Amino acid sequence: MCGIAGFFDKSGDHPNSSIGQVLITMLEGLASRGPDSTGVAFFGPSVGHTSVLRVKLGDADDRSSLAAALATFLDAHFAGRYKISNNGNSARLVVEGAEDLPVLAARIEALDKEIEVVSIGKSLEIVKQVGSPANLDLTYGVSQLKGTHGIGHTRLSTESKVDLSHSQPFGSHRLPDLAIVHNGHITNYHQLRRYYQQRKIRFYTENDSEVVAIYLSDQINKGSCLKEALQSMLKELDGSFSCLVATGREFGFVKDPFALKPLLWAETESFVALANEEIAIRSALPGAYDVREAQAREVRVWER
Amino acid sequence: MGEVNCEGRAPREINAEIKQQIHQGDTHIRILNPGARHNLGVAILKPVTLQLDGSVGYYCGGLIDGANFEVAGSAGWGLAESMMNGLVVVRGSAGNGAAAAIRGGTVVIHGNAAARLGISMKGGTVLVAGNCGYMAGFMAQKGTLIVCGDTGEAFADSMYQTVCFVGGKIAELGTDAVIEAATAEDAESLDSLLAQYLDPEERKKLPPGREFKKVVAGRKLWNFDKREWKTWQEAL
Repeated sequence: MCGIAGFFDKSGDHPNSSIGQVLITMLEGLASRGPDSTGVAFFGPSVGHTSVLRVKLGDADDRSSLAAALATFLDAHFAGRYKISNNGNSARLVVEGAEDLPVLAARIEALDKEIEVVSIGKSLEIVKQVGSPANLDLTYGVSQLKGTHGIGHTRLSTESKVDLSHSQPFGSHRLPDLAIVHNGHITNYHQLRRYYQQRKIRFYTENDSEVVAIYLSDQINKGSCLKEALQSMLKELDGSFSCLVATGREFGFVKDPFALKPLLWAETESFVALANEEIAIRSALPGAYDVREAQAREVRVWER
Repeated sequence: MGEVNCEGRAPREINAEIKQQIHQGDTHIRILNPGARHNLGVAILKPVTLQLDGSVGYYCGGLIDGANFEVAGSAGWGLAESMMNGLVVVRGSAGNGAAAAIRGGTVVIHGNAAARLGISMKGGTVLVAGNCGYMAGFMAQKGTLIVCGDTGEAFADSMYQTVCFVGGKIAELGTDAVIEAATAEDAESLDSLLAQYLDPEERKKLPPGREFKKVVAGRKLWNFDKREWKTWQEAL
């Protein structure tokens, strides 16, 4: 089991406009589904040519040498155009005028094999760590975060190790501003992984959910819209999946052909909320509205 | 009337208090703020009424025998799973596996039901006023399954002696499911069930009992015969 949750503020002025607060409350309601790790992908306002990167500086307690290597690189290429702050296991990097984010991410990772870029985008930021939603909130102040939409995950590890890198949400370095959370198992993961690795796409983990982000970014880069990519996922990915996906403008879900994992959705005039238990939606968003279970093979996408 | 407030409490404590109130002689208990908690009112074996004031999570009313549940909101997975007898009514919709493996009693869902409704039911009656998802009635053995709206795919797959009635469209019949002409008695008992459990307004929107499609097992999978190998290959 894993817990997945998503919140999409339709109007941008939902009284609970702190999407971070909504997501953390939902994840607390789901933590019994998976206590191993917690993560959130949230989409803040995108401003001009500003990009945001979350960078994991290794697993060691002392991150100063990696932080110094990163600072030297940034001074050489983005002098006066970047800001960096250290936060939990990761550094938050805001860069002005970075032309090609996938290339920038690759260059940052080339600095040291311990460095991993966790998220790239104009508005996307992913924060995740081992432990409970409450601890994630303590480290990153998630409940204070403002934004338009976001997705979150609490993990019960079943097939790969428990650390920050193996936690969800996952993004893809080949498509900035894309994040997924997944509950289930992708049973043709090894085939898909081999296919992408032959095409020189790097896998950071042994978590089968990672391939969902890579698959979707590949489909979208080939010209599909998010909805088409989710529909083709139904044909090409085997196994069980209740999966939430968000990009800078879009927010949606897909459920596998056998409806093996739960996924509920609620839509009102002001918001869309998704989670795999109603208890999560109700605890975060009081009020009278219907909550429905998604059907087998159901795909829905909301756009801003 | 008894009252149990769920606010800030775990299902285990709530269920213990419900059972304690029943033990003290309460026959009608109102459950406040259920907040979609799981396992509410599981295994109640007394003929009492539980009135749940909101949505419930997984397995509400599971394993009950003779109790009467009224859920004001929606229900999660496994509603009334394996109940022996009683009545479970949900005003909203129900998640996957509602009324799975029930042996008796009645489950009424005023909204929609998701996938695997009434799978392996061994008796009782399931009535959904709205639509149902994929694979409803799979391997169902006895009892009656009524869907007033549309069904999902693989409807009534590999059934034994459950009889299904569908008011709307059947997306796809499952293996060995066949449509059979409904008798006048079928229509009559269907009309009386719908009148008994649905609100008059709700009933008005639905077709008369005689227009419901009756779906039963074609009995092709009941006994293995290797001369019918092709049927089996398709079924499995």
